[in-house]
Amino acid sequence: MSQDLTRRTVLAVLAGGAAFLVKKANGQIVWQVNASRCINSRLFEAGVEACNLCTTECVVALSAVRAVNEYSKCGRCNICPAYFNITSAVNELGQPSEKLCPRDAIARKAIGKVDPEDPANNFYEYIIDEEKCDGCGKCVMKCKEPLGLGSITLRVRYDKCVNCNYCSILKACPQNALMQLPIDQAL
Amino acid sequence: MQYRHVQVIDGKGALRGIAVDGNGQLYAAGDSEIRVFDRNERWPTSRPAHAVAVASDGSVYAGEIGQIEIFNGAGKLLHTWRDEKLLGRVTAIGFTKDSVLAGDAADRAIRRFDRGGKFLNNIGKDSAVNGLLIPNGVVDFGVDAQDTIYAANPGKHRVERYTAGGELLGHIGRFDGIDPAGFTGCCNPTNVAIRDGIYTTEKAGPRVKAYDFSGKLLAVIATDLFDANCKNMDIAVDARGRVYVVDTVKAAIFVFEPVKV
Ligand code: SF4
Ligand code: SF4
Ligand code: SF4
Repeated sequence: MSQDLTRRTVLAVLAGGAAFLVKKANGQIVWQVNASRCINSRLFEAGVEACNLCTTECVVALSAVRAVNEYSKCGRCNICPAYFNITSAVNELGQPSEKLCPRDAIARKAIGKVDPEDPANNFYEYIIDEEKCDGCGKCVMKCKEPLGLGSITLRVRYDKCVNCNYCSILKACPQNALMQLPIDQAL
Repeated sequence: MQYRHVQVIDGKGALRGIAVDGNGQLYAAGDSEIRVFDRNERWPTSRPAHAVAVASDGSVYAGEIGQIEIFNGAGKLLHTWRDEKLLGRVTAIGFTKDSVLAGDAADRAIRRFDRGGKFLNNIGKDSAVNGLLIPNGVVDFGVDAQDTIYAANPGKHRVERYTAGGELLGHIGRFDGIDPAGFTGCCNPTNVAIRDGIYTTEKAGPRVKAYDFSGKLLAVIATDLFDANCKNMDIAVDARGRVYVVDTVKAAIFVFEPVKV
């Protein structure tokens, strides 16, 4: 390789790095959870405990990570294992008597054609209250296939994230699941 | 009633649906073919096969996306019923005395056709509010000797009974995450077979059970043999009461036999 070529390569890398830092400083490069790596949503991890490091390791109080339900994927089930603790005793409505979320951050609403007599006949919308959710991942783990449909995943929220140079969650994440992306790809 | 695990049959590729004929011959739908196990034959289908069923005259029906292919007992293709709308994704096929039933998972309904392929009516579509609630992508059902149709309605944790005309007669089953007599998870049972009773499979965790027609649990046939990530495990029961269950991850068929106690 000629000296000139080496110099040009170094300059190109430096220019690329500088452009990246400018984009990051402008909020155009952001951190996001890679759902296919996160233990809570990664397939073929049946039966393991939910990982809550996104809650405990984020520098922001209550974390910048939230559980997000993608409605187009959600089955709108009567017995949602992310909403109910499905191993709690069954109540008079034929439903589990306890909810799963420790912060009561998921609300449930019957939608469409509603049968007031029989809750099993209805579809439900599950709405996550982002003021209450701290991204603990419990509901994400229960929504995962094959128990659920995998519609709930953990996401970094950009109104909360301070875009650390090196995400503190990533330092602790056993799956290396936080990644930096251009913002249009991260939403 | 008790069952013992007697055999594991290598699925010889991806497995979706299974069926047993009157002679105990086992058929499986998977990849783009029907496999006939004892004869070690593979009949190619023109699209990926999701379901297989054997009619009383010995013809073999393959459920696919947008169509049903009908073979004679030697594997010769006789007819193709194509209807992209009514046969969106055929995940189960069954028969009454005078009609052919196809579970269309794309539209979450059972379609009823006459023996020539003319559409007659829907079953389970929007009945009792939203009808078959199928978040798991598979419609499955069985038919008893009186032509009553037993459809898995996993979103309601029930097996529902319908007339061939589509009238909902009743159901067995309820949600319970602790008591094995109930169905657990978000949506179970996913699959059902009918013989001398009602046989069901569940996902997360995988479980196979037998009920009588009143809904009384007779046996938990198996739980821990299957891969934990299995779902939509098709089930068939032969005339001797042997129960065949698909492990969709291991691509194998587990066989269970009733034990006299
Ligand atoms: S730390 Fe990693 S594995 Fe744990 S919840 Fe966050 S993204 Fe998932
Ligand atoms: S991530 Fe945790 S706090 Fe947030 S909705 Fe799910 S269970 Fe509740
Ligand atoms: S970059 Fe900082 S604020 Fe954002 S999620 Fe990671 S630790 Fe939290």
